[in-house]
Amino acid sequence: MDTHKTGGYAVSEPDKTTRPISSARQGKEVPRGEDSGPPLSQLGQTTIGEGVVTKVAGLAAREVPGVHDLGGGAARAMGSVTQMVGLGDALNQGVSVETGEREAVVDLTLVIDYGESIPRIADAVRSQVIKRVEGITGLSVTEVNITVNDLYFPGDDGPDEAPRVA
Amino acid sequence: MSARVRLARLAGQVIARSDGIAATAGPARRWQTIGSQQAIPGVLAVEDVQGRVDIEVHLVVRWPPQMPLEQLGEQLRERLRHAAGTAGMGARLGAVSVAFDDVRSETECA
Repeated sequence: MDTHKTGGYAVSEPDKTTRPISSARQGKEVPRGEDSGPPLSQLGQTTIGEGVVTKVAGLAAREVPGVHDLGGGAARAMGSVTQMVGLGDALNQGVSVETGEREAVVDLTLVIDYGESIPRIADAVRSQVIKRVEGITGLSVTEVNITVNDLYFPGDDGPDEAPRVA
Repeated sequence: MSARVRLARLAGQVIARSDGIAATAGPARRWQTIGSQQAIPGVLAVEDVQGRVDIEVHLVVRWPPQMPLEQLGEQLRERLRHAAGTAGMGARLGAVSVAFDDVRSETECA
């Protein structure tokens, strides 16, 4: 699998032992228990959109201290533009999710605060994403592939010199 | 008011009273039931030939969800069945489908 090494530091190798997921489709039906009483068609069903899984993964990754942002430079630049015109969702940038009936694969591109241990942050992000996605959606996460695309230095966002005029 | 619209309104009330739901979904108000005087967003009510009304609700969840989404869906389904029973419309209520379309973070809710 592509580890997104171009222009960045690939942190993780995907787990080769995981099963491939079934063909992804928009939305999924959350499986119900076998002994859950009346037929599903009578009670109705619960569906979770793929966008929900994507957003949960992105929000979970952002919960980990040391993660500054998600997405590559181009994605973030593009994201800010699309967001300004109301087309994009900043919380989805840097997150790609493939879902099947019961499983999900998550690809993340991170910007990490300078000075943090990249392997430690990657492990923490992986754990948090698995915990949140599995806990909230009921999907089994088979892979969380992480690419650290950039490091954030304090002061990167704004001018580091004091203004010359008051 | 028809049973279809009454059940759709009940569904809307159940959603409004539920913690953890940020909004009803529907880009361009795609999912809605047109009532006698107002639209009920996020709720699709369809009556079949036997007079049973299937309800489909489209939701945006507030981050972080307080429970697994499947459980939240079950809870909404149960509450709607209870509300319909209380309103004397339990027999008219058919399948209740719950679709989670998006998640909204605190900053997005603000």
